[in-house]
Amino acid sequence: MFSTITILVFLATLLGIIVHWFAYPASSECRQGGAMSGLIHVFTLLLIEQRSSLLGALKKLCYLLAIVCFVVLALTGFYPVLVRGEHLSGYLLMIHATFAPIFAICLAVLGITWAGANRFANGDCPLLQRLIRQCTSLAVPQPEQGPCRCTETAQKVAFWAIVVLALPLILSIVLSMLPLFGTHGQELALTCHRWSALAFGVMVLIHTYLAVRIRIVQ
Amino acid sequence: MRRELILALVLLPVLSLAMVTAQEAEEAPAGKLGDKGDGSRAHPVHRIPLIAENEDGEKGEQVALDDELVLPFSTKWTCGECHSYDIIKHGWHFNAIEPNAPAGRPGEPWVYFGQRLGIQMPLSYRDWPGTLKPADVGMTDYRFTQIFGRHMPGGGPGETKATDMDEIGRQYVSGTLEINCLACHNGHHGQDQGGVNGYAVQVSKQNYRWAAAASCEFAAVKGSAAAMSEAFDPFMPEGDDKEPHVVYDEGAFNADGHVLFDIVRESPNARCYYCHSDVFYTSEEGHDEKWTHEEDVHLKAGLTCVDCHRNGIDHDIVRGYPGEIADSNNPMVATTTCESCHLPEGPDVPEAGRLGAPVPKHVGLPTVHFERMSCTACHSGPWPGEKTVWAKTSRAHRLGTPSVNKAPETLPHIVAPVFAEKDGKILPHKMIWPAYWATETEGEISPIAIDVAEKALEDVFKDLEMPETGDWPGITDAQVAQALTTLNGIVDSNAVYVAGGSVYRLIDANSVAEEADHAAGEPYMWPIAHTVRPAAQSLGIRYCTDCHASDSPFFFASVTVDSPVASETPVVKDMVTFQEISPFYAWAFSASFVFRPFMKYVALGAAGILGIVLLLYGLRALGAVAKVLAEDE
Repeated sequence: MFSTITILVFLATLLGIIVHWFAYPASSECRQGGAMSGLIHVFTLLLIEQRSSLLGALKKLCYLLAIVCFVVLALTGFYPVLVRGEHLSGYLLMIHATFAPIFAICLAVLGITWAGANRFANGDCPLLQRLIRQCTSLAVPQPEQGPCRCTETAQKVAFWAIVVLALPLILSIVLSMLPLFGTHGQELALTCHRWSALAFGVMVLIHTYLAVRIRIVQ
Repeated sequence: MRRELILALVLLPVLSLAMVTAQEAEEAPAGKLGDKGDGSRAHPVHRIPLIAENEDGEKGEQVALDDELVLPFSTKWTCGECHSYDIIKHGWHFNAIEPNAPAGRPGEPWVYFGQRLGIQMPLSYRDWPGTLKPADVGMTDYRFTQIFGRHMPGGGPGETKATDMDEIGRQYVSGTLEINCLACHNGHHGQDQGGVNGYAVQVSKQNYRWAAAASCEFAAVKGSAAAMSEAFDPFMPEGDDKEPHVVYDEGAFNADGHVLFDIVRESPNARCYYCHSDVFYTSEEGHDEKWTHEEDVHLKAGLTCVDCHRNGIDHDIVRGYPGEIADSNNPMVATTTCESCHLPEGPDVPEAGRLGAPVPKHVGLPTVHFERMSCTACHSGPWPGEKTVWAKTSRAHRLGTPSVNKAPETLPHIVAPVFAEKDGKILPHKMIWPAYWATETEGEISPIAIDVAEKALEDVFKDLEMPETGDWPGITDAQVAQALTTLNGIVDSNAVYVAGGSVYRLIDANSVAEEADHAAGEPYMWPIAHTVRPAAQSLGIRYCTDCHASDSPFFFASVTVDSPVASETPVVKDMVTFQEISPFYAWAFSASFVFRPFMKYVALGAAGILGIVLLLYGLRALGAVAKVLAEDE
């Protein structure tokens, strides 16, 4: 069942991204140049800018490393389950376990350094603000006027979802290595790891898509 | 008239069929008094007459002390009065010779060995891959019984009618080796299986007809059938003391001529131990006597062997391995494995906790271990060391019988524990490396009959000095070459020697070529089920590195490659080579456990930081909400 749901969820996510890309082309939001120049710009972002501060360079390196680790972890984690229909084991397990702590470190660093920028602020979701004001009559600030920030808001949601999902993802597998859970607990932990990995993977895909889209627009 | 004729033609076959069916129903073995219990758990008292077998092999007269010829009682006719012998004889302990009997999981073979000739052969009538059939090495059932009957419960090959001309006469003298019911079911402490006048010795004297009587507490057997000529008629003895004869304890008979047997349904452990003992020479200090070793934890918890290894009148005993349901008709096999008693799963009725079995916690043990390993891998047999150790078993080393060589290295050479993969799971095994003289025709290797090899090679190895320890004398390559040259003069095809996993072929009169890792030389392994260690002594109880270390015995212990051929350095193989795993992978995976604690700290630290971030910003979000709510007031 897990395999079927995973394949369906990933397909739906990719399909959603593609539909969104064409339904709301990034070129329509571009402030300068076209989508192609935006894409080129995104690829140049893989390089560390000379004007970046040390912290900025470290953040970028950390992000790039996290992306690499995510790709490796996703491939090694989902491939045996989805393609071979068996548990993760052998060399794939060793690779998975090698990249996992690096990814955890990257997540922690990005969590600290990006949390401030991803705080929800006034105007992130005017619709919600207006709805709360109308329904509750609370002193919720008036939404700021300006261009639509839906993409940024969605990215923030994805970021916090990643941070939240990282906890069961990491803890489920690390705690199962400690002499805490019996057989049933071990099975539960493994199930938890699988499902949180699925949700986490979807969120990372969405976050990455939105990050690329925002860069293109900028 | 015509109508009557048609009616008769129709009715005739119908009536014939009905008569045949009724006849068959009459011939079907009716259940005997003792075939099925009535529900009482009390032991039935067996004060019964003794029945002998007559010269035609049929039911004879009741044994009476004042008879002119006092015959040994026959278990077949004495016990068979109330228990269906014809059903019992198809039970697991007796049915190896039946071609249709399921082979089941490979078990312990009978080992024929010859110290001087460099022979060590795992034999079995069952289709266990890696064993040789007795017939393939020229061993008749009669010969097989004489060699191994000491630890057989009778029946099977012991009851086969001899067809060899020499053996037909001998079998009339010796009788057949009936199922010795007392070997398992006599609860009396006087049951003598391995004593100086007990069952095993009587078998060695070819006193098959007398063996069961000799084993019981109220009869003694003297004389030897082996010492008699084929002309000797045991039913018309001349009264010579050398003739096999039985002497009963007169006090055992009551006024009716009946005797009291201490028969128990549930065989005592000591009865099982006679054939199913083993010893592992694990101690470097030589503390290898049984009082320095623990018994199975189940027995110490108060269980008996037959609490798990159960059977009904068909004696289709539960062996207790996973998947046995495919090989057995015993209804208990599905619920008499480690899992069925210890794990909280069952069909409709909960089975866990039966016989007081604790449910294991297995804390911190990833479930993949249950897919890749048997329960016994962690819980049974000796704790693995840097090297496999010598093991002895009752049947291979005739333990419990007189004049046993007690040296650890005495033949046959069984090594243990070997953690090897079978059918997708790793189990601990005992292992034996076959060694025998053979012929090779178009790449196919077939053993030479034992008698032929022994006779041909007698002179070749006559000057070899035999170690008192019972170990191999150490055959040189030149001696192997000489033996092969001799055998080539006798057999039609090329003679070869299989030993230590290799096949030796003749190059010239003084040298041989060795082909290592040949299929014909592959070791035979059978799983170790007992002795079960307690949870606190199971592998992995201290930490993962009990097995997952780059020098752990589980993967990297040296498995002795036993060979009669002398070698300057002992030949060994890594344990991992028997586990269908790449040695490098096993090493790399084990080595990664050095970093395992680091990984845990890092991951826990990262999760902690992310948790703090969430808490911090969650509190700030909560503060903002609180501020809005407060301003509203």
